Amino acid sequence: MAPFHFLMRHLSNRELSSWFFLAPVILIHMLVVAIPSISSLALCFTDWNGFGKINFVGFDNFIELFDDRVFKKAIIHNLIWTALFLTIPIVFALMAAFLLTGIRRFQMFYRFVFFFPYILASIVNCLIWKYLFHPIHGLTSFFNSIGWESLATSPLTTKETSLYAVAFVDGWHFWGFLVVIYITAMYQVDEDLYEAADIEGASKWQKFKYVTFPSIRPMFLFSFLIIIIWSVPAFDYVYILTSGGPAYSSEVVANFMYFEAFRNMNVGYASAVGALMFIYVFFVLGFFWSLRKLGWEI
Amino acid sequence: MAVYSKKTKAAIGNHVILMLLALIIILPVLVLLFNSIKPDEEFGVNPLGFPQTVRLMNYYDAFVAGNYAKIMVNSILLVAGTLAVCLTFSSLAAFSLAVLNPNGKSTIMIGIYLLVGLSIPAQLFILPLFIIWKNLHLNNTYVGLIIIYSALNAPFAVFLIRSYMIQLPKELFEAAIVEGASTIQLFTRVALPLSWPVFLTTGLVVSLAVWNEFLFAVTFIHNEEFKPISSILYSFQNRRDENYALISAASVMMAAPLAVLFILFQRNFIAGLTSGGTKG
Amino acid sequence: MIIKNIFYSIIASSILFSAAVNAKTNVIWWEYSEEGSGLNDALVKYIQDGFNQSQDSVNLEIIFKEGEYNEATRTALLAGVGPDIVSSSGATYVAKYASGGFLMSLEEVAEKNGWKDKILPWAYNTGVFGGELYSLPKNYESMLYFYNKTLFEENGWSLPTNLGEYEELAEKVQAKGMYPFAYGSSGWPMTHEHLAGNYLNTVAGPDSVYKAMIGEKEWTAPEFVEALELLKKHMMAGYWSGSLENYYAVGWDDFSAQFHNREAAMLQIGSWGFEIATALEGDEWGWAPLPILTNDGGEPNYQLSVGGTLSVNAASKNKNAAAEVLNWIVSNRETIVEFTKSRNFGAWLMPLYYEASDFGDDVDPRLRDYLVDFSERTGNGHYGYTTWTYYPPEAGTHIWKDMEVVWAGDITVKDFLAEQQKLWEKARKNDELLPIAAR
Repeated sequence: MAPFHFLMRHLSNRELSSWFFLAPVILIHMLVVAIPSISSLALCFTDWNGFGKINFVGFDNFIELFDDRVFKKAIIHNLIWTALFLTIPIVFALMAAFLLTGIRRFQMFYRFVFFFPYILASIVNCLIWKYLFHPIHGLTSFFNSIGWESLATSPLTTKETSLYAVAFVDGWHFWGFLVVIYITAMYQVDEDLYEAADIEGASKWQKFKYVTFPSIRPMFLFSFLIIIIWSVPAFDYVYILTSGGPAYSSEVVANFMYFEAFRNMNVGYASAVGALMFIYVFFVLGFFWSLRKLGWEI
Repeated sequence: MAVYSKKTKAAIGNHVILMLLALIIILPVLVLLFNSIKPDEEFGVNPLGFPQTVRLMNYYDAFVAGNYAKIMVNSILLVAGTLAVCLTFSSLAAFSLAVLNPNGKSTIMIGIYLLVGLSIPAQLFILPLFIIWKNLHLNNTYVGLIIIYSALNAPFAVFLIRSYMIQLPKELFEAAIVEGASTIQLFTRVALPLSWPVFLTTGLVVSLAVWNEFLFAVTFIHNEEFKPISSILYSFQNRRDENYALISAASVMMAAPLAVLFILFQRNFIAGLTSGGTKG
Repeated sequence: MIIKNIFYSIIASSILFSAAVNAKTNVIWWEYSEEGSGLNDALVKYIQDGFNQSQDSVNLEIIFKEGEYNEATRTALLAGVGPDIVSSSGATYVAKYASGGFLMSLEEVAEKNGWKDKILPWAYNTGVFGGELYSLPKNYESMLYFYNKTLFEENGWSLPTNLGEYEELAEKVQAKGMYPFAYGSSGWPMTHEHLAGNYLNTVAGPDSVYKAMIGEKEWTAPEFVEALELLKKHMMAGYWSGSLENYYAVGWDDFSAQFHNREAAMLQIGSWGFEIATALEGDEWGWAPLPILTNDGGEPNYQLSVGGTLSVNAASKNKNAAAEVLNWIVSNRETIVEFTKSRNFGAWLMPLYYEASDFGDDVDPRLRDYLVDFSERTGNGHYGYTTWTYYPPEAGTHIWKDMEVVWAGDITVKDFLAEQQKLWEKARKNDELLPIAAR
C-alpha cells in the first residue's frame, strides 16, 4: 500500500490532471452528441413540425404519447427485444465460447466464422435474410416444396412472427461479437481450477457452472448492460426488414420516433419519445449501480 | 492414455456442436457468395444453389459501376483519420480513468455520461449537429466527419482501453515516477507501450464501425468525389428493384478488406480483448 | 505514403477543378439516386449535359444522393445550406419547405416565361402555396390497369366495367391458377396507398373524396367504409399475389416477373408500370383506366398525381441561374419528351401541354393513347386524387401504415377512417392542407 500512496502523492493534483486528460474526449462528445441531443430534447415541450414556428405546449406531447396505441406497442416490443437479446444470443455465445476453449484445432476458423456477420454492414445482412425468407425463391419455397407448409410464408410478413424474425436476423449478426468477448474472458480462467475439477470428476456442465461462469461474471454483466443499452436505439434491422410492419407488429421505439420526426413531421412529439428513452436509460444505469453496491463488479 | 482419449472424445463432441453453429453462419453467407458470381438471368431458376455458369464479371461490373477504387480510398482516409483522433483521445481518457483517478467521482460521472451517450439514436441529434457543423464550416469536409465518427466511437473505445490499462502493474508507474517521469511521460512511456494489443482490438472495432457507416456520411458529405464505401450498396438498388448479383458482389468487396484485417490481427485482437475482459 | 499522395492529389485536383469552372456560375442540384435503373445516367445526359451545352454562363451539376433523399435535403435546407435546386418527392415536402421560408418563390420567373401556358393547370397548382408558385412538377403519374391481352383472348375474358364483372373476372383468373393482380409491397410499403387510393376513387368516387378533403364530408361516411371494406375483402381473397403475406413479401422484381410469366393476369399500378408492361415478351399487353367498382359502373377517372418536384433554395447564392435551369427544362419540350421516352415514360413525364406530334412514330401507340386519353378525360373533369399528392403528411402516412392494421383485423375500417378524419381535422386546424384540384 505504501508505494501506492507514493503514486497518489505524485499526482496530488490528480483530480485536476485527470480532467485534463479527459478533456478531449468529453469536448468532442459534448459537441457531437450531448449539445445537439439536449437541444433536440428541449423540443419535447413544443409542437415544432421541423420547419415553421415553435410553439410551447407544455406536457401535451407526453399526455398524447401515453395514449398512443402504437407507442405502447413499440415499448412492449422493445422490452421483448431486450429480453430476447439478453437470453438467446448470450446462451449461444456462452456455449460456443466455452466449447471453443476445449478445442485446439480449427479454433481460428470458428472464431472467424462466428465473427464474420458482425463485419458485414447491416444492409447486407438484411439483404441475405430477406432473400432467404422470400416466399418465391427463398428457403420458404423450399419448405413449401417438401410439404412443410407452416414454414412456407416469410416470417417477416406475418404479424405473429415479424418481430422475432427481425430479432433473429439482428441476433444472427450480433452473437459472434459476444463470442469474442466471452472467449477472451474465459482464457483468463486459471487452468489449475479446471484440473482440480477434473480430479473431482466434474462434468462439463459442472465445470462451466462452478469454474468458468463465476470467473467471467464481470464481463458477463458488462455484456448484459451493453445489450440493454443498445436495445434502446435498435433501429436499422427493423427499418430495413419490415419498417415496423405488418400492422406495427415489429414496431420499436426508435422506428416510431423516426417516422414521427421525418415522415409525419412531428418533431416535438418525436423529441418527447427521445426524452422518455433517456429517462429509461438512467433507470437502467441506476439499477446496475445498485448491483455494484451489492459488490458485483462490472 | 485413457485421459487423452476421453479428452479427444470430448473435443469431437465440441466440434460437432461448433460445426452446427458455424453452419448457421456459413450457409447464408454461401448464398451471398454464390449470388455474387451468378449471372442475373439465373436468379429465377436457381435462387439458392451454386451458379450453373460462373460470372466473375459481376465483380468487375460492381467495381466499375460503384467506382470502388475511389470510394475505397475515401473510406480508408476516413478510417485512418478516425483511428488517429479517436484512439488518441480515447487513450488519454482511458489513462485518466484507469491510472490517474481510478476510483474518483469523475470516473463514475464520465462512465455514466458515456453509457448514456451510447443509447441516443442518431436521428435525435443529427439535425442540430448539422446546424452546428455548418456554423463551424465543418460540413462537407472529411475533418468534420472524422470528428463525428471519433466522438460516436469514443465511449466504447474508452471503456475497452480503460479495462486494459486498469490491470497494468502499478509498480511500473511507481518506478517511472522514481525516475522523475511527469504525468504525460507516464502516459507516453509506460501506459501506451504496454497497451498496444488493446489498440489493435479497439482499432478494428472502430474501423469496422466507420467502414460500414452510412447515415452521417450521406447527410454530411455532399460531394460526389468524397463518397465513402458504404454508398456502393445503394448504387445497385433503388426504390423499385434490386440487382442481386451486383449488390452481392459489392457486399463481398466491401467486407473483404475487413475480413483480411480481422485475420491478420486475430491473435492480437483476441489478446487485446482478453486483458480488457475481466475487469471491464 | 501512398495514402498521403492520393490525399494530396485529391486536394490538388479539387483545386484545379474548381478553378477551371470558376468562370461560370455553378448550379448544384441534388437528386435521389437510382443508379441501378440507369436513370442517373439518362438525367445527366439529357438534362445536365443538355443544359450545359445550350449556353455557356452557367454550369449545372447534378449530385445523386443515396438512401433517404428527402432527409438529407431537409437537414441541409434547415441549416441554410443545401443545393441550389431542390428536388422533392411531392407537394407534402414543398408545403413544409415553403412554409418555413426555405424556397424561393418562382412566381416572377413563371410569369415572365409564361409557365402557365406550358404546364397543365392542375399540376401547376400543386406547387402554389399562399398564392405563389414554389415548385415545378417533375413527373405526373396516374393509376392504371394493365392486363395480359393474349391471356384475355385465349380465355375469352373481357375488361370489367363494374364491380360484379370485376369480381367475376378475378374468380375466373383464380380458377386458372393465376393471381388476378401482380403486386407486392416489399421494399416499398407505400404501395398500400396505391390500393387505398384506387378503391376510394373507384368505389366512393372522386366527388366524395373531394368533399372529404375540403371538409364538407366526413371520412367515416358510408361510401368510404364500403370502399375500404371492399379492398380488405379483395386483399383477403388473394387478389394481389395470392395472399396478404405474399403481397407483403413480393417486391418490384417479383411482381414484374409475375406479370411477365403469366403468374398474374393483370397489374394495377401507376403509369410507371409501362416500364413493366413494355418488357412483356411473347404475349400482348393492354391497358385501361381503372374500372368503376360500383354495381352500375360509370365513367372512369384518372387520379391526379405529381410524383416529384423541383424548386429553388431560398438560401442559394445563384438563385437566378437555378431558375434559369428550371426555365430551360419547362421550355424544352423536345428534350423532355426524348428523355421520358428513353425511360418508357416511367420517369420525367412532365405535365406539359403536349401535342401528338411531340411523340413521333416510334412511340408505342398504347403509350400515346394513354397520354392523349389522360389529357382529354381529365380535361373533361374526370379526375380523382392520389393520396401522395393531396394528403397532408400525417394522414398520408396513416393511410398506408395503418392500413396494415385494418388488414390484420386489429381495427375496423370504421375506426380506421375515424382516425383519418381526426388527422385531417388536425391538419386543417394547423393549416397544413395541400392545394386540392377543385371540381
